[in-house]
Amino acid sequence: MRSIFSIATTTVGEAIRRRVLLIILLIGVLFLVVAPGLGVLSARSETTVLRGMMLGIIQLTSAVIAIVLTVYMIPNEIERRTIYTILSKPVQRWQFLIGKYLGAVLALGLMMLLMTTVLVFTFWLQQRDASAVADLVKAPVMYFVQMSLLAAVAIFFSTFVSPLVNFFLTGGMYLLGSLFNPFFQTLSESQGTPALAKVFAQIVNTLLPNFANYNVQNPIINPQTQIQNEAAYYLQVTIYGLFYIGILLVGGILVFDRREV
Amino acid sequence: MKRRLSPLLIGFLALCLIGQGFLQRASIFPRWVRDYSPGEGKMVSEGLSPDQMLFALTGFREMIAGILWVRADSFFDSGNYDAILPVIRLVTILDPKQIDVYATGMWHIGYNFTDEEQRSDRRYIPSALALGKEGARQNDKTYEMYFETGWMWYHKIDDSYPNAVKWFETAQQQKDMLTARKNLLSNAYERNGEVDKGVDLLYRLFDDAKANAAKKDAAYGDRQNRDTLENKLDTMLVRTVQRGYVAQKEGRPLTGYDVNPPFDVGFSVKASVVEPRVIRFEGTWNVLPVGTRIRAVLKDADYPNAEPAGMKWDMSNSVNLDPPRDKTFMQDQLFVRNRRFNRKVDMSKDPTMYPFTSDRYLLEFYYNPRSAPPHIQDKFSWNGEGMTDKNFLNTEIRPGQRVVYATLELTKDQILRRGEWQDRVPVVRTKNYAEKATNADDVLLDIPSLRTK
Amino acid sequence: MAAAIETKQLTKSYKSRIHGRVNVVDALDLHVEEGEIFGFLGPNGAGKTTTIKMLLGIIYPTSGEGYVLGKEIGDMEVHKLISYLPERPYYYEHMTGLELLKFYGSLFGLTDQKQFEALLEKVNLHRDMSKTISQYSKGMQQRVGLAQSLLNDPKLLFLDEPTGGLDPIAHREIRDLILSFRDEGRTVFISSHELSEVELICDRVAIINRGIIERQGKLTDLLRGGRIEITVDGVPEQLLKDMRISDANVRTLPSGFLLDMPEENDPNSVIDAVRNQKGTIVSIVPRKKRLEDLFVETVTSKPGSTGKKTLTVEETTGAPK
Repeated sequence: MRSIFSIATTTVGEAIRRRVLLIILLIGVLFLVVAPGLGVLSARSETTVLRGMMLGIIQLTSAVIAIVLTVYMIPNEIERRTIYTILSKPVQRWQFLIGKYLGAVLALGLMMLLMTTVLVFTFWLQQRDASAVADLVKAPVMYFVQMSLLAAVAIFFSTFVSPLVNFFLTGGMYLLGSLFNPFFQTLSESQGTPALAKVFAQIVNTLLPNFANYNVQNPIINPQTQIQNEAAYYLQVTIYGLFYIGILLVGGILVFDRREV
Repeated sequence: MKRRLSPLLIGFLALCLIGQGFLQRASIFPRWVRDYSPGEGKMVSEGLSPDQMLFALTGFREMIAGILWVRADSFFDSGNYDAILPVIRLVTILDPKQIDVYATGMWHIGYNFTDEEQRSDRRYIPSALALGKEGARQNDKTYEMYFETGWMWYHKIDDSYPNAVKWFETAQQQKDMLTARKNLLSNAYERNGEVDKGVDLLYRLFDDAKANAAKKDAAYGDRQNRDTLENKLDTMLVRTVQRGYVAQKEGRPLTGYDVNPPFDVGFSVKASVVEPRVIRFEGTWNVLPVGTRIRAVLKDADYPNAEPAGMKWDMSNSVNLDPPRDKTFMQDQLFVRNRRFNRKVDMSKDPTMYPFTSDRYLLEFYYNPRSAPPHIQDKFSWNGEGMTDKNFLNTEIRPGQRVVYATLELTKDQILRRGEWQDRVPVVRTKNYAEKATNADDVLLDIPSLRTK
Repeated sequence: MAAAIETKQLTKSYKSRIHGRVNVVDALDLHVEEGEIFGFLGPNGAGKTTTIKMLLGIIYPTSGEGYVLGKEIGDMEVHKLISYLPERPYYYEHMTGLELLKFYGSLFGLTDQKQFEALLEKVNLHRDMSKTISQYSKGMQQRVGLAQSLLNDPKLLFLDEPTGGLDPIAHREIRDLILSFRDEGRTVFISSHELSEVELICDRVAIINRGIIERQGKLTDLLRGGRIEITVDGVPEQLLKDMRISDANVRTLPSGFLLDMPEENDPNSVIDAVRNQKGTIVSIVPRKKRLEDLFVETVTSKPGSTGKKTLTVEETTGAPK
């Protein structure tokens, strides 16, 4: 555990100093700061537009950060040989992988925390409504779980593909995982869909990671919508995320254990 | 030296796989469909650029909707009303929970498309209603879309009052219905001839308002609301007596009430196509006090889903923002002054709104006391008991009501002043129309009484 | 003495699209005694780094056996007793020297700051311990690498090119440190191209070429076979030839002759013969056999007689393309 923690904290230290990530984060923060201007441009539904924009910016920026942060993580360690000085110590490969993942998630969490703070501050300046602000913060919490899952996907792929291929694989998985739920819903509700297609879609929807589960921003953007047992849903998707992260990390460990570095 | 697969790891992996699959199927997906999906399972496939579609499908649909709606605002400012329509459709598909877009869209479609003389293009109203119905379906736990749709019936269409009542009633049932808007239902009841219901509602609202105003922390608005309702209720009660409604209910004769005997409004009309696509309506309406508006409608004789003095307004359940562009539907109000009306309707400046592609056209003239202002209704009452017309009284086109309804016909050639009508002014008139006598104009006011012995 | 490293027919092969299965390391029988400095030499792509990685458990052998400090390779308990300084290492640049040692120390469960500072002092970095790695010169980075390799008080150190790219002063410092390791009873396994360094400090060496160990043994034994050059003047060439010294060469110089003979021959007999003829001994230069000579001789000879196919590969990262 100590090794995992040490590797994780070192990973955080390295990640928060990576220029490309800081630039992406800065762009995200800038967009958050100017978003209220866009809200003002819409004379109608100013708050709706503002909420939608700001949450969308956080989600998009976090996804980019999560992917860029993790696709290079393991390959960089191998290329720079830093992994050798670690694996030559009494550190198991699985400890190394888990430590890197936790470090990535921590770094991601810090960056998302910064963006959420800017969101809260900017929104507060506009609205001065504490309950609306508290409501707003629920979305970034779910996005954090979503991005942790995305990071796990990238870490899993990084154990056996190159960073460039991983970038597209992970990005593609995010795209597909966001599409599954609405696509499957359309398919299952449509009368003309063949039964085989429905079964196939159901299997895919069950097996592959569903990032759409975490897109909980709609009732926050449109507060008149009433959701029952919201906390229960949040808990369920978090547990789902933990299960899936477990799958990916175990899969990564099994691959990494056999990999020549 | 092969590394052995750890049974523990494999077991853990299997457990996680089963766990997430079970959660997804059993609970998460059904809840997602119910609470977070884009509604009605629509996949956005048209009208968006590829990158917008990508963003929309990957969970950023609200953001795209917001950006599109901000763009729509610029179209509002520049007056590019046609460009707003696809944006409205897209945004409502992307985020059906954005009520404001539905409401603004309805208002825009119903009110903003006008001709040069500010006459509304009524061909759009079925689309506006369809949008309202969809918005209500998608946001069924809040009062707003029910209210907006009811308002479209009540104010814009100003006919088929049962529909206004139905929608306002549904709005009233929602928990978040604004108190200040609740009394509109009583107005709708009144328009629908359900006076008792209107009164009962006012009583209930008044009781609630009194209780609110009596609270320790009552705001000024609460007291104002109470006073307004009290005033309204008083007026309503007086009217029900004055108009003979109570007497009628109790089976007493109407003698001695304002509505009795019915007053002959003496409607007549002449329509002259003074220029191509320009019609002058002249006529009589034997009611002196100002406040009468007679509805004039010019439409294709074979207009789809036509109804007397209108159309089947809620003919569509799906939103189609394209009206029947080859059909003509003009509706205007003829204002009466000194018992006459004289209005020129110029349709020549708006060929897209008035295409005149059919060969035959129907001119309709319609008056319903349900829409009359109170001082006229004091005589005519809600169902026209105090009104009659020797030639054009009609009790069939609006069951339970006494309305004035007259029709004339025009041909395409006549309206466009083509062929034999190039040099001749086509004139159509009701049989009882008489040219006005000289000096019987604005200066000398003849004031007969609406009350006859 | 117990063996610090022992391998038996240790082999690592990869699949090559063109050549089929090729052995990067071929039936290696390596033996390193405890407490010695062992030099592991070979040209680029010979299999040195692959061998070290196998011994460290970073990559997995295809066949054969390997033991480090008596335990099978890959045993985590052994990792507590060994350390590794890779060739051209990269450390986390945002860390200071001290933080780096803290990080690596934490992997052993070490937390004593004084210990880390003492190590930095040992490698002469105590004045720079608060600077970040990005501010360190090449030599300083190498020294901090040595410091991290001493964290766990290892019994066996693997040093891959420990003096690569360093200036002569740094060379000397590193060399002295390595010698001090031996004095402390540690075993040092050095892979290096710096033959002069290896010759100075190693007790035993092995030369690997194309995956096969061509030579292995004590340096003194391997470097037997030096020569003596005697330059003479004032005597005829025939005198030298008549001495019939085996494996001797006589070269004509601008003035005089040069007799080049194996060092086993006694030079006094030559000196006496020249003096008797009233000639002059200009110079006597013993030329010991150098490691470089041995190395060149080994790697340019035919490959091992086993007839196995070997392939030169890029050893820096991963498998051959």
